Amino acid sequence: MKKKKRLLLLGDILGVVVTCVIFLVPFYFMLVQSLKSKAEANKLSISWPSELHFENYIEVFKHGNYQLVTAFKNSGILTLFTVLGLLVTAAMAAYVIQRRHDKVMTGIQSVIMLGLMIPAAILPTINLLQTLHIYKTMFSMVMIEIALQTPFAIMLYRGYMASIPRELEEAARIDGCTRWQIFQKVIFPLLKPIQATLIILVGVQTFNDFTNPLYFLPGSENTTVQLTLYSYQGQLASSFNLLFADIIVITLPMLILFIIFNKKIVDGMVAGSVKG
Amino acid sequence: MKKKVVSLVLAGAMTLSLALTGCGGGGSDSGDAPASDSGSGSEEASDSGDSEGGDKQFEGITLKWWGGNAENNAGTQAVMEAATEKLGMEFEVEVNPGGSEGDNILKTRMASGDLPDFLVYNSGSKLHDLNPSRGFLDISDWDIIDKFDDAFLSSVTIDDAVYGAPQSSTQAGAVIYYKPDYEELGLEVPHTWDEFLDNCKALADAGKTPVYFTGGETWATQVLFLGDYYNIAAKNPDFADDYTNGKAKYADVPEATRSWTKYEDLVDYLNADKSAATVTDGNFAIATGEATHWFILTQQLPLILENADNPDDIGVFGVPGEDADDHGLTVWEPMSWYVNKDSENIEAIKAFFEFYYSEEALDLYFETYGANGPSCVKGYELPESVCNAVRVDMQQYFDDGKTVPALEYQSPIKGTTCEQMTTAVGLGQMSGEEAAAMYDDDCKKSAVQLGYDWE
Amino acid sequence: MKTKKERSLYPVWFVLPSLIIFVIFFLWPIISSLYYSLTVWNFDTAKFCGLDNYKLFFSEHSMSSSVVHTLIYAFGTSALKVVLAFFIAIFLTSAIKTKGFIRSAVFFPNLVSMMAVGLAFSYMMHPTKGLLNVVIQAFGGTAIDFLGNPSTALISIIMTDVWKGLSISVVIYIAGIQSIDKTYYEAASIDGATGWQQLKHITLPLVAPSQNSIIILSLIGGLRSFDLIWAMTGGGPGFSTDVLASVIYKQYAAGFYGLSTAGNVVMLILISVIAFPLQHFLNKREEAIQG
Repeated sequence: MKKKKRLLLLGDILGVVVTCVIFLVPFYFMLVQSLKSKAEANKLSISWPSELHFENYIEVFKHGNYQLVTAFKNSGILTLFTVLGLLVTAAMAAYVIQRRHDKVMTGIQSVIMLGLMIPAAILPTINLLQTLHIYKTMFSMVMIEIALQTPFAIMLYRGYMASIPRELEEAARIDGCTRWQIFQKVIFPLLKPIQATLIILVGVQTFNDFTNPLYFLPGSENTTVQLTLYSYQGQLASSFNLLFADIIVITLPMLILFIIFNKKIVDGMVAGSVKG
Repeated sequence: MKKKVVSLVLAGAMTLSLALTGCGGGGSDSGDAPASDSGSGSEEASDSGDSEGGDKQFEGITLKWWGGNAENNAGTQAVMEAATEKLGMEFEVEVNPGGSEGDNILKTRMASGDLPDFLVYNSGSKLHDLNPSRGFLDISDWDIIDKFDDAFLSSVTIDDAVYGAPQSSTQAGAVIYYKPDYEELGLEVPHTWDEFLDNCKALADAGKTPVYFTGGETWATQVLFLGDYYNIAAKNPDFADDYTNGKAKYADVPEATRSWTKYEDLVDYLNADKSAATVTDGNFAIATGEATHWFILTQQLPLILENADNPDDIGVFGVPGEDADDHGLTVWEPMSWYVNKDSENIEAIKAFFEFYYSEEALDLYFETYGANGPSCVKGYELPESVCNAVRVDMQQYFDDGKTVPALEYQSPIKGTTCEQMTTAVGLGQMSGEEAAAMYDDDCKKSAVQLGYDWE
Repeated sequence: MKTKKERSLYPVWFVLPSLIIFVIFFLWPIISSLYYSLTVWNFDTAKFCGLDNYKLFFSEHSMSSSVVHTLIYAFGTSALKVVLAFFIAIFLTSAIKTKGFIRSAVFFPNLVSMMAVGLAFSYMMHPTKGLLNVVIQAFGGTAIDFLGNPSTALISIIMTDVWKGLSISVVIYIAGIQSIDKTYYEAASIDGATGWQQLKHITLPLVAPSQNSIIILSLIGGLRSFDLIWAMTGGGPGFSTDVLASVIYKQYAAGFYGLSTAGNVVMLILISVIAFPLQHFLNKREEAIQG
């Protein structure tokens, strides 16, 4: 047993070292660039800055009339509504799809699962939005994000739903709950673990989305956080420091979200796979 | 899990917008605008505007405009500030991403009737592609257009309607070089390609990097190819028409094939980080003599000069051909201002443009930012502060009549993978002849999409 | 009789919000793209041109190489993720103490946008001053032009993709492993099975469902992948990292909307041809393994 302990310790040490080198060094690299002067960052070296330039972060915020603040607001709204909308609609759909095994549901499920395979058609979508007169609105952007992520959310929910015994619904039914109440009061609260997983994955995906806002939500007042990277595009090479400072600033919210839900990410999936 | 791929299908577009732009589009994304603070111009403008009374008939009007970092430069901002002070209107810029990304956004916004008051875009064939009459105002009855030279006007005129006014000066696709290296080794400006290669050899022998290549920003690698057009046109005056009609092919016309094989001659003379170097790296490399030559648009001159010790260190010559007596320059017209025909502030825009092309404002622009080449405002002379590379080296070609407009002003057809091929040939991954043949196929595809019948 | 009861308990309209959003904002544009792919389309007008776009698309000189790159990319990233993530997950479900830290660290790349990852890695892979080459040279190696050399460019991007996307696979595996009934292992230990035997005969078969999800998701992701490639090389140098999606994008960027849409349809077919049979096969395998 002593031998086993030593082996584990060795595993710990090796694991930490390898992880740090492979997964954390790139972040360290970004961090040091963001604190350097323009000229020093241009050398792309990983050494600690000869002088700390925290003002890079202030500059990133001030850039382009506080564009970053607008961007945070927009991305925040987009992410919030996408996550909320998806959590509810996908849960409802997955619940019925998982519980019923008739032909209609199987059909609907196959259609929705197509979304996992097929890439979205950008141009026809813009065309459609224009026809509906909702192009360039936050509403249409949220709808598109939800549509794109529905298949994945339903897939996760469905796996998890299988672990919830049907007897619960039948019991609630006998207690006189309506069908909506059964879902709302009995099933939905039980979905918490998988929802934590979804909040992280969908939140990160939406917040970090670059392309869709670029096409479906143009305009400076509609800018989202990933698009702020554009500001440093023209002078990419000459302001690496600001570019990396921007990257770090726009990654922080997701890091915080991750810290909150970290432990639960696996839990949701574990339960889901039990009988999935 | 799948999520993370689902909708990001087209991201990465950022690099793309750099990468995909043609040289013509280069103007919008070469963009190391010295003013990194894109919005501040209008901010400051509004502050100073309030401080003075006087005749500011457009007080209270805010003009929204759309342009790349390159156009929202210190010069533009200075002129706008001055306009605010004089005329009262304020400006609010929306910086576009440039390149093809910018093109797409513009096209989409035009289709949905959502343009700012005025904006910057290419002149020439890319303007034609836009079908400008559906969004841009015909300004042919404005007084300012009498000031512009014919070469410029033809690049913004479609069916007798004039849409654009020059944002900046002309520019060329040429060789920008570091003069102290030439002086040190006693080299002369080459007038043929062979002389140029001899110079490169001498530079390499002296331990210098003869040619700078920016494979990290592929649009810029096209400049040798596109800038060599003078030499094609010199021998084949009808090339542009024949090419547009599918009769002249790069693989068949010897001078045109040569534009591609010239890259092969340079393979051994390039910088070590040729595959990754960016245009910004290039600005620095030429300014400091890290490399001697660079095939690039002269819009980079003001940015190179920012890093140079002495403005006279930097010179320009046209891409050399075979004939020493016919050494010319391939010229690009500037990006242009276009006015939204549905703007509510057309009078204010008109007044702003009248100011923009006044001697005072032109001087202010060129003194603040510098010039990419001779101005296309007739009779206007660039201020003394503009570098000799423009006022002497480039001006000489104009004075001698040895200039030709780039192919994109004479033909709407351009292969979409041009820059990938120039990069591949430049890095020695493909032969010039192979590339010429492939490029012909590529052009055919464009032609079909543009409705030409090539067989 | 059970069916009847189900019906009364689970109202069909629950599916409608999801279904309506999905159909309007995703499915309908795709269906209309089938029509646009048969036209020369510039957003204002769509002129019918039959199958010309498809012919042109297939005559694209980088077409065949881009299909090959797409397959290499998809199978490469998928295989690496399936294998590496499995061992990491085994490691993280063992008795080691630092698993919380390591799992978080492995997850970090997932929090950063593709854009940012692409930029950071292309700088780290810079041929002269990039971090990786500085390290290689410090150990006496010669610098590698990761992204500038056609023979290393694609593999460099694949590695970056694995770095960024590994964590999700790890999480799915961990979930799968944790849900395996512990009594199997206890029984096996009593029978004297070694750790390796347990891994091979208990863990591996029982994580098959997780593994299948990983294979399908990462393979489809790989087939459609584009963003990272575009951020790092733009399909270059030359055409050496062009994949289907980037060829399609270039045509889109050139304003050839009909042609680009035809490319999208081609990609859709390619993905279906690979994904559906694969899923069928994996499901069969899963059933066979679990009896």
